[in-house]
Amino acid sequence: MNKRQIRATITAWVFILPFFILFTIFTVYPIIQGVWVSLNKWNLMGKQNFVGLENYKKLFTDDAFVGSLWHTIQFVLMCTPVLVILPLIMALFANRPVKYKRFLRISYYLPGVLSVSVISFIAKYTFAPYRGLVNGILRFFDVINTKSEILWFESTGRSWAVVVIMTIWWTVGFPMLLYLSALQDIPQETLDAAEVDGASGMQQLFQIKLPLLKPTILLVLMLQIIACFKVFGQIYMTTGGGPANTTRPLVMYIYQQAFNKNKLGYSAAMSYILFAILVVCTLLQFKLQKGEDEN
Amino acid sequence: MRKQKVTIKSFVIMIISVLLALVMLLPVVWALFCSLQQEGKQITTIWDWFLPPYTLMNYPDVLMGTSTLRWFINSLAVAVISTVLSVIISTMAAYAIAKIPFKGSKWVYTFFLFGLLVPGEATIIPMFILVHNLNLINTFSGLVLPSIAGSMNLLIAVSFFRGIPTALMEAVRIDGGSELTIYRKIALPLSKPIIATISIMCFIGSWNNYLWPLLCIFDEAKYTLPIGIPTLLSVERPDVVIPMTVNMVASIPMIIVYLIFEKQIVQGISMEGIKG
Repeated sequence: MNKRQIRATITAWVFILPFFILFTIFTVYPIIQGVWVSLNKWNLMGKQNFVGLENYKKLFTDDAFVGSLWHTIQFVLMCTPVLVILPLIMALFANRPVKYKRFLRISYYLPGVLSVSVISFIAKYTFAPYRGLVNGILRFFDVINTKSEILWFESTGRSWAVVVIMTIWWTVGFPMLLYLSALQDIPQETLDAAEVDGASGMQQLFQIKLPLLKPTILLVLMLQIIACFKVFGQIYMTTGGGPANTTRPLVMYIYQQAFNKNKLGYSAAMSYILFAILVVCTLLQFKLQKGEDEN
Repeated sequence: MRKQKVTIKSFVIMIISVLLALVMLLPVVWALFCSLQQEGKQITTIWDWFLPPYTLMNYPDVLMGTSTLRWFINSLAVAVISTVLSVIISTMAAYAIAKIPFKGSKWVYTFFLFGLLVPGEATIIPMFILVHNLNLINTFSGLVLPSIAGSMNLLIAVSFFRGIPTALMEAVRIDGGSELTIYRKIALPLSKPIIATISIMCFIGSWNNYLWPLLCIFDEAKYTLPIGIPTLLSVERPDVVIPMTVNMVASIPMIIVYLIFEKQIVQGISMEGIKG
Protein backbone atom coordinates (compact mmCIF):
# COMPACT_ATOMS: atom_id res chain seq x y z
CA MET A 1 0.00 0.00 0.00
CA ASN A 2 1.27 3.43 -0.84
CA LYS A 3 0.89 6.50 1.31
CA ARG A 4 -2.28 7.64 -0.36
CA GLN A 5 -3.99 4.29 0.14
CA ILE A 6 -3.02 4.22 3.80
CA ARG A 7 -4.41 7.71 4.22
CA ALA A 8 -7.66 6.72 2.50
CA THR A 9 -8.02 3.63 4.67
CA ILE A 10 -7.48 5.62 7.86
CA THR A 11 -9.94 8.33 6.80
CA ALA A 12 -12.52 5.72 5.81
CA TRP A 13 -12.26 4.02 9.19
CA VAL A 14 -12.63 7.33 11.02
CA PHE A 15 -15.92 7.78 9.13
CA ILE A 16 -17.07 4.23 9.77
CA LEU A 17 -15.95 3.88 13.37
CA PRO A 18 -18.86 5.53 15.27
CA PHE A 19 -21.43 3.34 13.55
CA PHE A 20 -19.15 0.30 13.60
CA ILE A 21 -18.72 0.51 17.38
CA LEU A 22 -22.45 0.91 18.08
CA PHE A 23 -23.35 -1.83 15.60
CA THR A 24 -20.84 -4.23 17.16
CA ILE A 25 -21.94 -3.51 20.72
CA PHE A 26 -25.71 -3.27 20.30
CA THR A 27 -26.48 -5.49 17.32
CA VAL A 28 -23.77 -8.16 17.07
CA TYR A 29 -22.68 -8.66 20.67
CA PRO A 30 -26.18 -9.44 22.04
CA ILE A 31 -26.52 -12.34 19.58
CA ILE A 32 -23.36 -13.95 20.95
CA GLN A 33 -24.01 -13.02 24.57
CA GLY A 34 -27.52 -14.51 24.21
CA VAL A 35 -26.10 -17.96 23.42
CA TRP A 36 -24.13 -17.89 26.66
CA VAL A 37 -27.15 -16.64 28.64
CA SER A 38 -29.31 -19.44 27.21
CA LEU A 39 -26.87 -22.04 28.52
CA ASN A 40 -27.18 -20.75 32.07
CA LYS A 41 -29.69 -20.31 34.80
CA TRP A 42 -29.82 -16.55 34.83
CA ASN A 43 -31.99 -14.07 36.71
CA LEU A 44 -32.32 -10.32 36.80
CA MET A 45 -29.55 -10.13 39.41
CA GLY A 46 -27.11 -11.93 37.10
CA LYS A 47 -25.81 -15.41 36.28
CA GLN A 48 -26.53 -18.24 38.68
CA ASN A 49 -25.01 -21.35 37.18
CA PHE A 50 -24.16 -23.18 34.00
CA VAL A 51 -26.76 -25.76 32.97
CA GLY A 52 -25.68 -26.62 29.44
CA LEU A 53 -28.54 -27.48 27.08
CA GLU A 54 -31.01 -27.89 29.94
CA ASN A 55 -33.03 -24.79 28.93
CA TYR A 56 -33.41 -26.07 25.39
CA LYS A 57 -34.49 -29.54 26.53
CA LYS A 58 -37.10 -28.00 28.80
CA LEU A 59 -38.64 -26.11 25.84
CA PHE A 60 -40.11 -29.16 24.22
CA THR A 61 -41.86 -30.37 27.34
CA ASP A 62 -43.20 -26.92 28.24
CA ASP A 63 -46.82 -26.89 27.09
CA ALA A 64 -47.03 -23.12 27.50
CA PHE A 65 -44.09 -22.66 25.12
CA VAL A 66 -45.46 -25.08 22.53
CA GLY A 67 -48.86 -23.42 22.95
CA SER A 68 -47.55 -19.91 22.44
CA LEU A 69 -45.55 -21.02 19.42
CA TRP A 70 -48.71 -22.59 18.02
CA HIS A 71 -50.72 -19.40 18.70
CA THR A 72 -48.10 -17.40 16.86
CA ILE A 73 -48.34 -19.76 13.88
CA GLN A 74 -52.15 -19.47 13.98
CA PHE A 75 -51.79 -15.69 13.95
CA VAL A 76 -49.40 -15.87 10.97
CA LEU A 77 -51.82 -18.15 9.10
CA MET A 78 -54.81 -15.91 9.77
CA CYS A 79 -53.19 -12.56 8.98
CA THR A 80 -50.79 -13.25 6.15
CA PRO A 81 -53.24 -14.19 3.36
CA VAL A 82 -55.33 -11.07 3.98
CA LEU A 83 -52.23 -8.90 4.30
CA VAL A 84 -51.01 -10.12 0.91
CA ILE A 85 -54.27 -9.79 -1.02
CA LEU A 86 -56.14 -6.85 0.52
CA PRO A 87 -53.30 -4.31 0.11
CA LEU A 88 -52.95 -5.39 -3.52
CA ILE A 89 -56.61 -4.54 -4.11
CA MET A 90 -56.16 -1.25 -2.27
CA ALA A 91 -53.09 -0.41 -4.37
CA LEU A 92 -55.03 -1.12 -7.58
CA PHE A 93 -57.76 1.23 -6.34
CA ALA A 94 -55.31 3.96 -5.36
CA ASN A 95 -53.44 3.62 -8.64
CA ARG A 96 -56.46 4.45 -10.81
CA PRO A 97 -56.35 7.83 -12.54
CA VAL A 98 -59.02 9.51 -10.44
CA LYS A 99 -59.09 12.83 -8.64
CA TYR A 100 -59.44 11.32 -5.18
CA LYS A 101 -56.53 8.89 -5.46
CA ARG A 102 -54.42 10.87 -2.96
CA PHE A 103 -57.31 10.64 -0.50
CA LEU A 104 -57.42 6.87 -0.96
CA ARG A 105 -53.67 6.48 -0.52
CA ILE A 106 -53.62 8.65 2.60
CA SER A 107 -56.62 6.93 4.21
CA TYR A 108 -55.37 3.42 3.52
CA TYR A 109 -52.03 4.14 5.16
CA LEU A 110 -53.14 6.48 7.95
CA PRO A 111 -53.61 3.87 10.73
CA GLY A 112 -50.02 2.77 10.03
CA VAL A 113 -48.52 5.91 11.53
CA LEU A 114 -50.27 5.43 14.87
CA SER A 115 -48.41 3.87 17.76
CA VAL A 116 -49.19 0.31 18.81
CA SER A 117 -50.48 1.55 22.17
CA VAL A 118 -52.91 3.94 20.52
CA ILE A 119 -54.28 1.39 18.08
CA SER A 120 -54.57 -1.20 20.85
CA PHE A 121 -56.68 1.07 23.00
CA ILE A 122 -58.72 2.36 20.10
CA ALA A 123 -59.43 -1.32 19.31
CA LYS A 124 -60.20 -2.12 22.92
CA TYR A 125 -62.78 0.65 23.12
CA THR A 126 -64.08 -0.03 19.62
CA PHE A 127 -64.89 -3.62 20.58
CA ALA A 128 -65.98 -2.84 24.13
CA PRO A 129 -69.51 -3.81 25.22
CA TYR A 130 -72.19 -1.17 25.94
CA ARG A 131 -70.44 1.89 24.53
CA GLY A 132 -68.19 0.33 21.90
CA LEU A 133 -68.40 1.32 18.27
CA VAL A 134 -68.66 -2.15 16.77
CA ASN A 135 -71.55 -3.31 18.95
CA GLY A 136 -73.20 0.06 18.31
CA ILE A 137 -72.95 -0.41 14.56
CA LEU A 138 -74.17 -4.02 14.77
CA ARG A 139 -77.13 -2.87 16.84
CA PHE A 140 -77.82 -0.06 14.36
CA PHE A 141 -78.06 -2.54 11.51
CA ASP A 142 -80.11 -4.95 13.66
CA VAL A 143 -77.47 -7.65 13.50
CA ILE A 144 -77.79 -7.97 17.27
CA ASN A 145 -80.84 -6.84 19.18
CA THR A 146 -81.03 -3.66 21.20
CA LYS A 147 -80.45 -5.13 24.61
CA SER A 148 -77.78 -7.72 23.85
CA GLU A 149 -74.04 -7.27 23.87
CA ILE A 150 -71.30 -9.22 22.18
CA LEU A 151 -68.48 -9.71 24.67
CA TRP A 152 -65.58 -9.73 22.25
CA PHE A 153 -62.85 -10.58 24.71
CA GLU A 154 -64.64 -13.47 26.44
CA SER A 155 -64.06 -16.22 23.87
CA THR A 156 -60.91 -17.37 22.12
CA GLY A 157 -62.45 -17.16 18.67
CA ARG A 158 -63.75 -13.62 19.08
CA SER A 159 -60.50 -12.49 20.75
CA TRP A 160 -58.59 -13.74 17.73
CA ALA A 161 -61.06 -11.95 15.47
CA VAL A 162 -60.38 -8.66 17.27
CA VAL A 163 -56.61 -9.14 17.19
CA VAL A 164 -56.55 -10.13 13.53
CA ILE A 165 -58.90 -7.34 12.42
CA MET A 166 -56.98 -4.65 14.30
CA THR A 167 -53.64 -5.94 13.04
CA ILE A 168 -54.86 -5.90 9.45
CA TRP A 169 -56.35 -2.44 9.89
CA TRP A 170 -53.12 -1.14 11.41
CA THR A 171 -50.55 -2.74 9.08
CA VAL A 172 -52.26 -3.05 5.68
CA GLY A 173 -50.94 0.35 4.53
CA PHE A 174 -47.31 -0.70 4.41
CA PRO A 175 -47.70 -3.51 1.82
CA MET A 176 -50.22 -1.31 -0.01
CA LEU A 177 -47.49 1.29 -0.57
CA LEU A 178 -45.04 -1.42 -1.69
CA TYR A 179 -47.55 -2.61 -4.29
CA LEU A 180 -48.34 0.94 -5.31
CA SER A 181 -44.72 1.79 -6.04
CA ALA A 182 -44.37 -1.45 -8.01
CA LEU A 183 -47.53 -0.64 -9.99
CA GLN A 184 -46.19 2.80 -10.80
CA ASP A 185 -43.01 1.23 -12.18
CA ILE A 186 -45.02 -0.59 -14.86
CA PRO A 187 -44.40 1.45 -18.03
CA GLN A 188 -47.56 3.18 -19.25
CA GLU A 189 -46.70 2.22 -22.87
CA THR A 190 -47.09 -1.47 -22.00
CA LEU A 191 -50.60 -0.87 -20.72
CA ASP A 192 -51.46 1.47 -23.59
CA ALA A 193 -50.33 -1.13 -26.10
CA ALA A 194 -52.53 -3.73 -24.42
CA GLU A 195 -55.43 -1.27 -24.45
CA VAL A 196 -55.00 -0.71 -28.19
CA ASP A 197 -54.95 -4.47 -28.72
CA GLY A 198 -58.34 -4.57 -27.04
CA ALA A 199 -57.35 -6.13 -23.71
CA SER A 200 -60.01 -5.51 -21.10
CA GLY A 201 -59.23 -4.19 -17.64
CA MET A 202 -59.36 -7.70 -16.20
CA GLN A 203 -57.09 -9.08 -18.92
CA GLN A 204 -54.59 -6.29 -18.30
CA LEU A 205 -54.68 -7.11 -14.60
CA PHE A 206 -54.17 -10.85 -14.90
CA GLN A 207 -51.89 -10.97 -17.91
CA ILE A 208 -49.71 -7.89 -17.43
CA LYS A 209 -49.92 -6.38 -13.98
CA LEU A 210 -49.97 -9.50 -11.80
CA PRO A 211 -47.06 -11.25 -13.57
CA LEU A 212 -45.02 -8.04 -13.29
CA LEU A 213 -45.96 -7.75 -9.61
CA LYS A 214 -44.88 -11.29 -8.77
CA PRO A 215 -41.61 -10.25 -7.08
CA THR A 216 -43.46 -7.70 -4.97
CA ILE A 217 -46.12 -10.23 -3.99
CA LEU A 218 -43.42 -12.66 -2.84
CA LEU A 219 -41.64 -9.86 -0.96
CA VAL A 220 -44.85 -8.81 0.78
CA LEU A 221 -45.61 -12.42 1.65
CA MET A 222 -42.24 -12.91 3.34
CA LEU A 223 -42.26 -9.52 5.08
CA GLN A 224 -45.73 -10.19 6.49
CA ILE A 225 -44.80 -13.66 7.73
CA ILE A 226 -41.75 -12.19 9.47
CA ALA A 227 -43.75 -9.30 10.95
CA CYS A 228 -46.51 -11.61 12.18
CA PHE A 229 -44.05 -13.92 13.95
CA LYS A 230 -42.87 -10.90 15.97
CA VAL A 231 -46.38 -9.99 17.16
CA PHE A 232 -46.50 -8.76 20.74
CA GLY A 233 -47.75 -5.26 21.61
CA GLN A 234 -51.28 -5.28 20.26
CA ILE A 235 -52.07 -8.68 21.80
CA TYR A 236 -50.40 -7.83 25.11
CA MET A 237 -52.48 -4.66 25.38
CA THR A 238 -55.86 -5.91 24.17
CA THR A 239 -56.51 -9.55 25.07
CA GLY A 240 -53.49 -9.80 27.35
CA GLY A 241 -53.02 -13.25 25.81
CA GLY A 242 -56.40 -14.31 27.18
CA PRO A 243 -58.85 -15.80 27.66
CA ALA A 244 -56.78 -18.35 29.63
CA ASN A 245 -53.62 -17.68 27.56
CA THR A 246 -55.24 -18.99 24.39
CA THR A 247 -54.09 -16.00 22.34
CA ARG A 248 -50.68 -15.58 23.94
CA PRO A 249 -47.96 -15.31 21.27
CA LEU A 250 -44.33 -16.37 21.59
CA VAL A 251 -42.78 -12.95 22.22
CA MET A 252 -45.26 -12.36 25.03
CA TYR A 253 -44.37 -15.67 26.70
CA ILE A 254 -40.67 -14.83 26.37
CA TYR A 255 -41.33 -11.44 27.94
CA GLN A 256 -43.34 -12.91 30.82
CA GLN A 257 -40.86 -15.68 31.59
CA ALA A 258 -38.00 -13.19 31.64
CA PHE A 259 -39.44 -10.22 33.43
CA ASN A 260 -42.25 -11.66 35.53
CA LYS A 261 -40.81 -15.09 36.29
CA ASN A 262 -37.20 -13.94 36.35
CA LYS A 263 -36.01 -16.77 34.06
CA LEU A 264 -33.70 -14.94 31.67
CA GLY A 265 -31.73 -18.01 30.64
CA TYR A 266 -34.84 -19.94 29.68
CA SER A 267 -36.26 -16.92 27.83
CA ALA A 268 -33.02 -16.49 25.92
CA ALA A 269 -33.27 -20.12 24.80
CA MET A 270 -36.83 -19.52 23.59
CA SER A 271 -35.67 -16.39 21.77
CA TYR A 272 -33.30 -18.50 19.69
CA ILE A 273 -36.18 -20.60 18.41
CA LEU A 274 -37.82 -17.38 17.23
CA PHE A 275 -34.48 -16.17 15.91
CA ALA A 276 -34.03 -19.35 13.90
CA ILE A 277 -37.53 -19.09 12.38
CA LEU A 278 -36.99 -15.44 11.45
CA VAL A 279 -33.52 -15.98 9.99
CA VAL A 280 -34.85 -18.81 7.81
CA CYS A 281 -37.70 -16.55 6.61
CA THR A 282 -35.34 -13.65 5.92
CA LEU A 283 -32.86 -15.82 4.01
CA LEU A 284 -35.74 -17.27 2.01
CA GLN A 285 -36.87 -13.73 1.23
CA PHE A 286 -33.34 -12.71 0.08
CA LYS A 287 -33.19 -15.83 -2.07
CA LEU A 288 -36.56 -15.14 -3.65
CA GLN A 289 -35.55 -11.54 -4.35
CA LYS A 290 -32.25 -12.62 -5.84
CA GLY A 291 -33.93 -15.27 -7.97
CA GLU A 292 -36.36 -12.66 -9.27
CA ASP A 293 -33.57 -10.19 -10.01
CA GLU A 294 -31.79 -12.76 -12.13
CA ASN A 295 -34.86 -13.60 -14.18
CA MET B 1 -72.88 0.01 -25.04
CA ARG B 2 -69.32 -0.69 -23.94
CA LYS B 3 -68.91 2.87 -22.74
CA GLN B 4 -71.98 2.49 -20.54
CA LYS B 5 -70.63 -0.69 -18.98
CA VAL B 6 -67.28 0.88 -18.20
CA THR B 7 -69.00 3.75 -16.43
CA ILE B 8 -71.07 1.47 -14.22
CA LYS B 9 -68.01 -0.59 -13.43
CA SER B 10 -65.91 2.40 -12.50
CA PHE B 11 -68.78 3.75 -10.42
CA VAL B 12 -68.92 0.49 -8.45
CA ILE B 13 -65.14 0.55 -8.01
CA MET B 14 -65.37 4.14 -6.83
CA ILE B 15 -67.98 3.25 -4.22
CA ILE B 16 -65.99 0.27 -2.94
CA SER B 17 -62.68 2.09 -2.84
CA VAL B 18 -64.11 5.10 -1.03
CA LEU B 19 -66.04 2.90 1.42
CA LEU B 20 -62.85 1.02 2.16
CA ALA B 21 -61.09 4.33 2.83
CA LEU B 22 -63.87 5.41 5.18
CA VAL B 23 -63.69 2.10 7.06
CA MET B 24 -59.95 2.65 7.50
CA LEU B 25 -60.55 6.15 8.81
CA LEU B 26 -63.60 5.38 10.94
CA PRO B 27 -61.90 4.26 14.17
CA VAL B 28 -59.59 7.29 14.11
CA VAL B 29 -62.46 9.66 13.33
CA TRP B 30 -64.51 8.04 16.08
CA ALA B 31 -61.64 8.50 18.55
CA LEU B 32 -61.39 12.15 17.51
CA PHE B 33 -65.12 12.78 18.02
CA CYS B 34 -65.07 10.95 21.36
CA SER B 35 -62.33 13.30 22.53
CA LEU B 36 -64.57 16.26 21.68
CA GLN B 37 -67.52 15.05 23.78
CA GLN B 38 -68.34 16.05 27.30
CA GLU B 39 -67.58 13.35 29.83
CA GLY B 40 -70.67 11.49 30.93
CA LYS B 41 -72.75 12.19 27.82
CA GLN B 42 -75.65 9.78 27.28
CA ILE B 43 -74.98 7.49 24.32
CA THR B 44 -78.06 5.71 22.99
CA THR B 45 -77.24 5.23 19.31
CA ILE B 46 -73.93 5.48 17.48
CA TRP B 47 -74.87 8.90 16.11
CA ASP B 48 -74.62 10.39 19.60
CA TRP B 49 -70.85 9.96 19.39
CA PHE B 50 -70.60 12.24 16.42
CA LEU B 51 -73.17 14.93 17.26
CA PRO B 52 -72.57 18.23 19.12
CA PRO B 53 -72.27 19.77 21.67
CA TYR B 54 -68.51 19.60 21.37
CA THR B 55 -65.91 20.73 23.84
CA LEU B 56 -62.16 21.18 23.65
CA MET B 57 -61.78 21.15 27.43
CA ASN B 58 -60.66 17.48 27.52
CA TYR B 59 -57.37 18.47 25.93
CA PRO B 60 -56.21 20.90 28.65
CA ASP B 61 -57.49 18.37 31.20
CA VAL B 62 -55.30 15.63 29.76
CA LEU B 63 -52.29 17.87 29.18
CA MET B 64 -52.38 19.43 32.66
CA GLY B 65 -53.96 16.70 34.76
CA THR B 66 -51.85 13.73 33.63
CA SER B 67 -48.23 13.08 32.73
CA THR B 68 -49.12 12.94 29.05
CA LEU B 69 -47.35 16.20 28.22
CA ARG B 70 -44.19 15.05 29.94
CA TRP B 71 -44.24 11.72 28.05
CA PHE B 72 -44.89 13.64 24.89
CA ILE B 73 -41.74 15.70 25.45
CA ASN B 74 -39.76 12.55 26.32
CA SER B 75 -40.93 10.84 23.14
CA LEU B 76 -40.09 13.88 21.08
CA ALA B 77 -36.62 14.24 22.63
CA VAL B 78 -35.80 10.55 22.16
CA ALA B 79 -37.11 10.54 18.59
CA VAL B 80 -35.23 13.69 17.58
CA ILE B 81 -31.94 12.61 19.18
CA SER B 82 -32.19 9.09 17.69
CA THR B 83 -32.97 10.48 14.26
CA VAL B 84 -30.17 13.07 14.22
CA LEU B 85 -27.55 10.65 15.55
CA SER B 86 -28.65 7.84 13.27
CA VAL B 87 -28.57 10.04 10.18
CA ILE B 88 -25.10 11.38 11.04
CA ILE B 89 -23.37 8.10 11.87
CA SER B 90 -25.17 6.10 9.16
CA THR B 91 -24.46 8.53 6.33
CA MET B 92 -20.83 9.00 7.44
CA ALA B 93 -20.19 5.28 7.40
CA ALA B 94 -22.20 4.90 4.19
CA TYR B 95 -20.16 7.63 2.52
CA ALA B 96 -16.88 5.91 3.41
CA ILE B 97 -18.13 2.54 2.16
CA ALA B 98 -19.56 3.89 -1.07
CA LYS B 99 -17.11 6.62 -2.01
CA ILE B 100 -13.70 6.18 -0.36
CA PRO B 101 -11.77 3.38 -2.07
CA PHE B 102 -10.06 1.47 0.72
CA LYS B 103 -9.03 -2.06 1.56
CA GLY B 104 -11.74 -3.98 3.40
CA SER B 105 -14.70 -1.87 2.33
CA LYS B 106 -16.44 -4.93 0.91
CA TRP B 107 -15.85 -6.81 4.14
CA VAL B 108 -17.32 -4.02 6.25
CA TYR B 109 -20.34 -3.74 3.98
CA THR B 110 -21.04 -7.47 4.25
CA PHE B 111 -20.66 -7.27 8.03
CA PHE B 112 -23.31 -4.53 8.17
CA LEU B 113 -25.52 -6.45 5.74
CA PHE B 114 -25.82 -9.21 8.33
CA GLY B 115 -27.52 -6.65 10.56
CA LEU B 116 -30.67 -7.06 8.48
CA LEU B 117 -30.89 -10.65 9.66
CA VAL B 118 -31.09 -9.70 13.33
CA PRO B 119 -34.65 -9.26 14.56
CA GLY B 120 -34.75 -6.97 17.60
CA GLU B 121 -37.50 -9.05 19.20
CA ALA B 122 -35.26 -12.10 19.36
CA THR B 123 -32.39 -10.44 21.22
CA ILE B 124 -34.29 -8.56 23.93
CA ILE B 125 -32.94 -10.73 26.76
CA PRO B 126 -29.21 -10.28 26.04
CA MET B 127 -29.89 -6.65 25.10
CA PHE B 128 -31.47 -6.07 28.48
CA ILE B 129 -28.54 -7.71 30.27
CA LEU B 130 -26.04 -5.69 28.20
CA VAL B 131 -27.76 -2.35 28.79
CA HIS B 132 -28.15 -3.26 32.47
CA ASN B 133 -24.42 -4.00 32.75
CA LEU B 134 -23.62 -0.70 31.07
CA ASN B 135 -25.74 1.00 33.75
CA LEU B 136 -27.99 2.45 31.08
CA ILE B 137 -31.29 0.92 32.20
CA ASN B 138 -33.82 3.64 32.93
CA THR B 139 -31.85 6.26 30.97
CA PHE B 140 -32.53 7.91 27.63
CA SER B 141 -29.12 6.74 26.39
CA GLY B 142 -30.31 3.21 27.02
CA LEU B 143 -33.28 3.92 24.78
CA VAL B 144 -31.39 5.72 22.03
CA LEU B 145 -28.17 3.72 21.56
CA PRO B 146 -29.68 0.31 20.66
CA SER B 147 -32.18 1.98 18.34
CA ILE B 148 -29.51 3.69 16.21
CA ALA B 149 -27.33 0.59 15.89
CA GLY B 150 -29.46 -1.01 13.15
CA SER B 151 -28.03 -1.10 9.66
CA MET B 152 -31.13 -0.38 7.54
CA ASN B 153 -30.47 3.38 7.24
CA LEU B 154 -26.83 2.78 6.43
CA LEU B 155 -27.63 0.30 3.66
CA ILE B 156 -30.19 2.64 2.10
CA ALA B 157 -27.63 5.47 2.19
CA VAL B 158 -24.90 3.27 0.67
CA SER B 159 -27.05 2.35 -2.28
CA PHE B 160 -27.89 6.03 -2.78
CA PHE B 161 -24.29 7.27 -2.52
CA ARG B 162 -23.17 4.63 -5.01
CA GLY B 163 -25.45 6.31 -7.54
CA ILE B 164 -23.79 9.73 -7.17
CA PRO B 165 -21.20 10.39 -9.90
CA THR B 166 -17.65 10.30 -8.58
CA ALA B 167 -16.18 12.89 -10.96
CA LEU B 168 -17.01 15.91 -8.84
CA MET B 169 -15.60 14.28 -5.71
CA GLU B 170 -12.39 13.31 -7.53
CA ALA B 171 -11.96 16.94 -8.61
CA VAL B 172 -12.20 18.16 -5.02
CA ARG B 173 -9.82 15.41 -3.89
CA ILE B 174 -7.22 16.46 -6.49
CA ASP B 175 -7.55 20.07 -5.35
CA GLY B 176 -6.57 18.82 -1.91
CA GLY B 177 -10.02 18.88 -0.32
CA SER B 178 -10.42 16.53 2.63
CA GLU B 179 -12.95 13.70 2.72
CA LEU B 180 -14.83 15.56 5.42
CA THR B 181 -15.23 18.52 3.07
CA ILE B 182 -16.49 16.27 0.28
CA TYR B 183 -18.90 14.54 2.65
CA ARG B 184 -20.27 17.81 4.01
CA LYS B 185 -20.16 19.99 0.90
CA ILE B 186 -21.01 17.48 -1.84
CA ALA B 187 -22.39 14.17 -0.61
CA LEU B 188 -24.82 15.51 1.99
CA PRO B 189 -26.34 18.33 -0.09
CA LEU B 190 -26.84 15.92 -3.00
CA SER B 191 -28.62 13.44 -0.78
CA LYS B 192 -31.18 15.74 0.82
CA PRO B 193 -34.18 13.70 -0.41
CA ILE B 194 -32.76 10.44 0.91
CA ILE B 195 -31.85 12.04 4.23
CA ALA B 196 -35.38 13.42 4.56
CA THR B 197 -36.76 9.95 3.90
CA ILE B 198 -34.43 8.20 6.35
CA SER B 199 -35.17 10.84 8.98
CA ILE B 200 -38.93 10.50 8.74
CA MET B 201 -38.81 6.71 8.91
CA CYS B 202 -36.41 6.86 11.83
CA PHE B 203 -38.57 9.42 13.64
CA ILE B 204 -41.77 7.41 13.21
CA GLY B 205 -39.97 4.22 14.25
CA SER B 206 -38.68 5.81 17.42
CA TRP B 207 -41.95 7.57 18.22
CA ASN B 208 -43.84 4.28 18.02
CA ASN B 209 -41.24 2.00 19.59
CA TYR B 210 -42.91 -0.08 22.27
CA LEU B 211 -41.13 -3.28 23.32
CA TRP B 212 -37.71 -1.84 24.14
CA PRO B 213 -38.89 1.20 26.15
CA LEU B 214 -41.20 -1.18 28.04
CA LEU B 215 -38.13 -3.13 29.19
CA CYS B 216 -35.68 -0.29 29.51
CA ILE B 217 -37.63 2.41 31.38
CA PHE B 218 -39.40 1.89 34.69
CA ASP B 219 -39.42 5.40 36.06
CA GLU B 220 -42.78 6.98 35.26
CA ALA B 221 -41.21 10.41 34.69
CA LYS B 222 -39.04 8.94 31.94
CA TYR B 223 -41.79 7.04 30.09
CA THR B 224 -42.32 7.65 26.41
CA LEU B 225 -45.89 7.94 25.13
CA PRO B 226 -46.32 4.33 23.93
CA ILE B 227 -45.59 2.94 27.39
CA GLY B 228 -47.19 5.81 29.26
CA ILE B 229 -50.56 5.63 27.52
CA PRO B 230 -51.48 2.12 28.72
CA THR B 231 -50.90 3.09 32.36
CA LEU B 232 -53.59 5.75 31.98
CA LEU B 233 -56.04 3.55 30.16
CA SER B 234 -55.67 0.13 31.71
CA VAL B 235 -57.75 1.21 34.70
CA GLU B 236 -61.29 0.24 33.79
CA ARG B 237 -62.87 3.61 33.16
CA PRO B 238 -66.59 4.05 32.76
CA ASP B 239 -66.08 6.62 30.04
CA VAL B 240 -64.07 6.62 26.83
CA VAL B 241 -63.78 10.41 26.55
CA ILE B 242 -60.54 10.96 28.46
CA PRO B 243 -58.80 7.81 27.11
CA MET B 244 -59.64 8.85 23.56
CA THR B 245 -58.29 12.35 24.26
CA VAL B 246 -55.05 10.74 25.43
CA ASN B 247 -54.97 8.71 22.21
CA MET B 248 -55.51 11.81 20.13
CA VAL B 249 -52.84 13.82 21.95
CA ALA B 250 -50.41 11.02 21.11
CA SER B 251 -51.61 10.71 17.50
CA ILE B 252 -52.35 14.19 16.20
CA PRO B 253 -48.64 15.18 15.90
CA MET B 254 -47.96 11.94 14.02
CA ILE B 255 -50.90 12.48 11.70
CA ILE B 256 -49.72 16.01 10.94
CA VAL B 257 -46.16 14.80 10.29
CA TYR B 258 -47.65 12.14 8.03
CA LEU B 259 -49.80 14.57 6.05
CA ILE B 260 -46.87 16.96 5.54
CA PHE B 261 -44.23 14.34 4.69
CA GLU B 262 -46.48 11.84 2.93
CA LYS B 263 -44.23 11.83 -0.15
CA GLN B 264 -41.07 11.04 1.82
CA ILE B 265 -42.85 8.30 3.76
CA VAL B 266 -44.08 6.64 0.59
CA GLN B 267 -40.56 6.84 -0.81
CA GLY B 268 -39.03 5.48 2.39
CA ILE B 269 -41.31 2.48 2.41
CA SER B 270 -40.60 1.56 -1.18
CA MET B 271 -36.87 1.74 -0.40
CA GLU B 272 -37.14 -0.44 2.68
CA GLY B 273 -39.04 -2.86 0.51
CA ILE B 274 -36.23 -3.01 -2.00
CA LYS B 275 -33.61 -3.47 0.72
CA GLY B 276 -35.86 -5.95 2.49
